[in-house]
Amino acid sequence: MYDSIIPTADSIPVHWLWFQVLLIVTFFIHMILMNFLLGGSLLTAWDFFTGKLEKKASGSIPTLVALTVNFGVPPLLFVQVLYGHFFYSSSVMLAVPWILVIPVLILAYYGAYVFVKQTDKAPVLSKLALVFTSLGLLGIAFMLVNNNTLALQPDRWGMYFQNPGGWNLNLGEPTLWSRYAHFVLAALAIGALGRAILYRYSKIGKKEKDRQIRRNLKIFAWITLLQFGVGTWFWLTMPADVWKSFMGGSLFATAMMVTGWIVALLILHSAFTGRFTAAMILGGIEVLVMVVVRDLARMAYLREIFHASQLENVGESSPLIAFLLVFAVGLFALYYMISLMFKAKTPQP
Amino acid sequence: MNYPAWYLPNLGGGLLIAIISILHVVISHLAVGGGLFLVLTERKAIRTNNPALLEYVRKHTWFFLLLTMVFGGMSGVGIWFIISLVNPAATSSLIHTFVFGWAIEWVFFIGEIVALLIYHYRFGKMDHKPHMILGWLYFIFAWLSLFIINGILGFMLTPGDWMETGSFWDGFFNPSFLPALIFRTCIALIIAGVFGLVTGAWLKDADTRRQVFRQCARWMYVPLGVLVLTGIYYTRVISADSFQNLFHFNRESTPFITLLIISSVLLFGAGLLTLVKSSQFLQKLGALFLVLICFGWMSGFEYMREIARKPYVLYGHMYSNGISPEEMEALNAGGFLATAKWTEIKEVNAENVMNAGAEIFRLQCMTCHTLDGYNGVKNKSDKLTERGLEALLTGMGKVNSYMPPFAGTEEEKKAVAAWIYNEIQGKMTIPVGPYPADEFPLEIPPFDPDTSQYVLLVWNDLGMHCISDNEKYFSFLPPANTFNAQLFKRGPRPQLVTGGVSMEYAVEEGFRNPEKHSMFWEYDTRIFGVDLPEGQGLMGKGVTGTLEKQGAVYAAHFIPVLPYMDNGTYNPYPIFTITARDEDTGEVLAVTKAVAPTSTEMGCRNCHEGNWRWNSVSGIADQTAINILMAHDKYNGTTLLEDAENGQPALCQSCHADPAVMAPGKPGILNFSAAIHGFHANYLAGMDQDACTMCHPGRVEGNTSCFRGRHKEIGLGCTECHGTLEDHALSLLAHQADLDASRRLSRGLEPVFAYTKEEIKPRMPWLMEPDCRSCHTNFSIFEDGFSGTSFNIWAPGFEALYRNRTDNHGVMCIACHGSTHAVYGATNKYGLHRDNQQPLQYQGMAGTIGTHDQCALCHTVEMTANGHHRNMVNREFPAAVVE
Repeated sequence: MYDSIIPTADSIPVHWLWFQVLLIVTFFIHMILMNFLLGGSLLTAWDFFTGKLEKKASGSIPTLVALTVNFGVPPLLFVQVLYGHFFYSSSVMLAVPWILVIPVLILAYYGAYVFVKQTDKAPVLSKLALVFTSLGLLGIAFMLVNNNTLALQPDRWGMYFQNPGGWNLNLGEPTLWSRYAHFVLAALAIGALGRAILYRYSKIGKKEKDRQIRRNLKIFAWITLLQFGVGTWFWLTMPADVWKSFMGGSLFATAMMVTGWIVALLILHSAFTGRFTAAMILGGIEVLVMVVVRDLARMAYLREIFHASQLENVGESSPLIAFLLVFAVGLFALYYMISLMFKAKTPQP
Repeated sequence: MNYPAWYLPNLGGGLLIAIISILHVVISHLAVGGGLFLVLTERKAIRTNNPALLEYVRKHTWFFLLLTMVFGGMSGVGIWFIISLVNPAATSSLIHTFVFGWAIEWVFFIGEIVALLIYHYRFGKMDHKPHMILGWLYFIFAWLSLFIINGILGFMLTPGDWMETGSFWDGFFNPSFLPALIFRTCIALIIAGVFGLVTGAWLKDADTRRQVFRQCARWMYVPLGVLVLTGIYYTRVISADSFQNLFHFNRESTPFITLLIISSVLLFGAGLLTLVKSSQFLQKLGALFLVLICFGWMSGFEYMREIARKPYVLYGHMYSNGISPEEMEALNAGGFLATAKWTEIKEVNAENVMNAGAEIFRLQCMTCHTLDGYNGVKNKSDKLTERGLEALLTGMGKVNSYMPPFAGTEEEKKAVAAWIYNEIQGKMTIPVGPYPADEFPLEIPPFDPDTSQYVLLVWNDLGMHCISDNEKYFSFLPPANTFNAQLFKRGPRPQLVTGGVSMEYAVEEGFRNPEKHSMFWEYDTRIFGVDLPEGQGLMGKGVTGTLEKQGAVYAAHFIPVLPYMDNGTYNPYPIFTITARDEDTGEVLAVTKAVAPTSTEMGCRNCHEGNWRWNSVSGIADQTAINILMAHDKYNGTTLLEDAENGQPALCQSCHADPAVMAPGKPGILNFSAAIHGFHANYLAGMDQDACTMCHPGRVEGNTSCFRGRHKEIGLGCTECHGTLEDHALSLLAHQADLDASRRLSRGLEPVFAYTKEEIKPRMPWLMEPDCRSCHTNFSIFEDGFSGTSFNIWAPGFEALYRNRTDNHGVMCIACHGSTHAVYGATNKYGLHRDNQQPLQYQGMAGTIGTHDQCALCHTVEMTANGHHRNMVNREFPAAVVE
């Protein structure tokens, strides 16, 4: 039945692997930023309510919102290029909560500014704003998990016919809560790592700097340890043919999963022992590995239905070349602007 | 169709898109123009060493960041979200076509964000020069974002060569790219000026405030001239259809054009007050007011752009509902439901008509329409019957190209119409049975072949005269029946009597007080410009009177006879007695009877709602008339309904020329027949002669059944002579092919009795009609064997029309063969021989006068040679008669 309702996909201008690579690269950056933002704001809220607020860590939240959203654009774009016919369908099914992501995001963003700007002037308002922002971001994450799981399961799309009004959260999905828990914990772990990085490069006293780095690396480590359990839970709630693909079903998928476990073990060692640089690099590698694993899981879910290589390639590469050129110029411009910022001096009257 | 539809029965996806978009576009234009505003104001502050102005820039930057980066940036993502929910097919198409355009735009977006964040956070903490470089970089990135988005938006409206090549670059650098880019850049600068006022108004220092206000005013007014010029340029690069949708024949655009005009006047009128000295409170109020107006201003512009794009979401490539024009043929043939993916109903059957109609509406129409909310179908369909709704669906995308054509089979169309009428309007179509016509007795005047010296032949010129009998609202056919007569003195060489006689006519009892049943005499001055005595017609004739000599005939024009009898009976075939007398002695030479066929069975109500006006039997009811005028006013920008309600109803032909009522009309406007047939043919297409009887009184079950002549008996219909409604309309429209309206009405019509539109010969209504000889070649008859149609073979000139034509002796064809649509051998539902009285009177046989070699009827002797035309005597097959 569900085969007949999967929309026909549109053609793509260049080979699908271009989009696959772009998707993984940009999604990796987005995940890092998102983890910094979500994990950072949750940890900041924790600090705030336990009286340990450190302005150095909290002041970057609004900027992180901007960057996270910005770097969310290209993976959302490339996932729509490859999997749009699944993604649009699931989005329509949960249209109401999905569109609410936007006002919640705007308010969370403003909340972040209220929190930062009013910390001293209006502490109660500031606390409320931070709580709102954190809950808002958690809510957005929940919507994303709902949409992304529903997009992978056309066999559940029949629910649309009972409720075409856009209220179909994918609450019956077995992986929903394990996936959500896994991602939120990952955000906390990487968020803690991000805070450690921030302190590492901040201009505060060495003692305090070391204390903060150690503290945040420990959070990073403990949550990573917890992820062994939650990750396994998530893994095993997936359909059998999906989780089995990571257990020998697919050599590449299995290799990536094993890599992920090994890197996680190394993270535990480096973070518990306070090896900042190793923890930072390993944290980055782990996010990248998990992004690839996530994509492999998506392919395993859709194996019987669709593979991006089936998309018609119309073979128009000049826009890709234009993008790559603009991207290179953009990178240079970013470098130039940031270098201007670091060269900054106070203007003479 | 390819994607699920988000069911929003009252709110509507279109409204959600509009709300998010309008909020976003104002802020996103501010993000562009405001960037230049910041850096130029900063430069000015530094050059003039004005710390107060510099402080203003710093504060404005914070305000600007909160608005553009937070709200602007996020709402931009919001537009992406909402369009993918409301129209996923179009979104997918845009994403896949321009994926690297979007990706490039993202690069500019990140450049904007980084530049603005550093510009804001390092304001006052870095040297002026690098700080201003950041400001300039911000503006460049923001404008480049506009550059990209503008290309894609322009593609949606004017895809240009992309339609043929499919090339990214052809789509991006499309015909409206440049005008739209300049236009939007001007808007961005103006909006930057307006928003600059807001932070300016809150400045404490009056001098700085004044300085900022003057500067903002310059930002508002300097780009204005370029804006107007590029706006005009913009309208020149859109398609002719887009232009028409915007400015002609589409009232949907009126509110938004009005909004744009009013908000422009308010913005640039009230904006001048920025130059006037006033209190800070008023300045604050004024600044906020102008910001508010900006939203109205942008709403007007963006809505107009959207309307110009209709009925497409991607012009020429995909309709608003996500269906592409290439899919239409297959959908119409194979069925919409059978093809649509997201439905559990795959066909229309007897049990599921309502559910199927609702499903088709949900999947095909709800991208734009709600049920009873924003753009709700309930309000838009309450002036039509179920049949009218079906016609509306047939005509969608044709006359008014604002909406896409309906996709699906006839059954699916009927199901949607039924569902809207029954479920949305809560109305029921009541089946109407055959009209129970009374059979009225006939008293045929005597004729003695041995002693009678004269034969008087009388006929109505048209075979049916229709009356639009609700003059309170409009008129296009007054009560105006015309009799013609020829008197022959019998003998071996009969004589056509053209002098020395007088002729009188009198209608039968029951029809002698037409003024009691008609509003004609109440509105005659207003509509026809003459104040007639009650009971008198437009040519001075009443229901009794005399026929006047006119060449070879005697005639009485425009007799105001109605089908309404004083006793409340409806009878569209009143009988007149015509008496010919010796002019000198008064001696009666001949007496005969003829019907004056006259009907008020106009089928307007079949689509336009309303009951029958007169005794629930016939005539145009007020509600029907109102609905018709509303439709006319809506499409043409007229005020006919308002005028009528103010006691000033119009004659339709006061604008639309019409030889039938000798109205010259107005130049540049379609003649009446072309307009009314051309318009309705688009809505009643594919119906063969059923389309004709939707309006004309020819239905077999109707109260008139005007097509009653011999042709009906052999199975012919309207279309064998006139072509289908589409053919008929195309021939009329071709006569005025130079008019835009003609092109608009004919573009959606497909000829049936011709291979191409170009084959159809232009025709002037009433003056050019099908030529009988196209079938009756050499005066052969059906039994002689022939086939074909007389459509597109027009009689060569006015004199050659059946009703005007004579033989070589001055005997008129119609005198012997009977009126058009009632040629002898006719059958009338109000009494079988009601139209055959003269054949029965003179020859006792209901066929053509003189049929079956009864030449002695006039010649008093048998004739052996053809006299009037070929194939009269000694024919192989005698013509049929009605027993």
